[in-house]
Amino acid sequence: MGERTVAAAVPWASERRRAGARPSLAAKALGAAAVVVLATGLYLGLAVVPPDAVQGEVQRIIYLHVPSIVTAYLAFFVVFCSSILYLWKRDLRFDAVAVSSAEIGVVLTGITLATGSIWGKSTWGVWWTWDARLTLTAILFTIYVGYLMLRAFAEEPQAGARYGAVLAIIGFLDIPLNHLAVQWWRTLHQPSSILRPGGPSVALVMLVPLAINFAGLILLYTYLLLERIRLERIRHRAAETRLKRGRRG
Amino acid sequence: MGSWGFIGLAYGVGSVALLLYLILLKRRLRDARDELAALEGDGGRGTR
Repeated sequence: MGERTVAAAVPWASERRRAGARPSLAAKALGAAAVVVLATGLYLGLAVVPPDAVQGEVQRIIYLHVPSIVTAYLAFFVVFCSSILYLWKRDLRFDAVAVSSAEIGVVLTGITLATGSIWGKSTWGVWWTWDARLTLTAILFTIYVGYLMLRAFAEEPQAGARYGAVLAIIGFLDIPLNHLAVQWWRTLHQPSSILRPGGPSVALVMLVPLAINFAGLILLYTYLLLERIRLERIRHRAAETRLKRGRRG
Repeated sequence: MGSWGFIGLAYGVGSVALLLYLILLKRRLRDARDELAALEGDGGRGTR
């Protein structure tokens, strides 16, 4: 029954030319560009930029930590928009984008939590504390891990897509809450120093590697997203082929 | 652990996570492609 609904709703999977047997040239170019840009940003952040006057050398973790969470926010925003479009149009192409983007967002949020924990140990002396920003980031991670589990264990693909879309839309509300947490509550985590009223409070020399790493992670995210969507396309085509064989049999 | 130890740990964890995800994604793509090829091969034989 699941395969029937997938095949009926995914005409794109049956187009042999577009079935995604090989990565597109654009995807390959994005992957190569991501490696070059990230290598440049990491070199600047680790070897060129001077240490922070207050935190010292360990502040260099921020050049990975901040771009990771901002790119994760972008990934979940794509999930949010794709989920709305799926519920509206009932087109599994939007669902494929949503589930693909959610997976990458979870990886990036995991990296954010891990690098933040390492930075916290070196700066605060603890690996973890139940600070509002940290807790809301952990909740964000848990929500989208739950989303992926829901998608993986759903027996009926369209029901999984529907429930997943609702969870993804509600889960996205955690992001503005997380961003504003450092303004609303007294938190151990420092307040926003880039996306804040009045512009960034970070020195330009430190903003440059942050911006380059952010660009590199956006390129990497786009590359991974295209590859992950290709996987969905191949799976849908396999489901459609199984269904056709079943009909003939 | 010194500052550079923490920095190495953070960048190491980040790099390993991304690399592992990429490797697993490529493996899933290869498996899905093989499954599709097998299905289409079987289907082709069945219709001849």
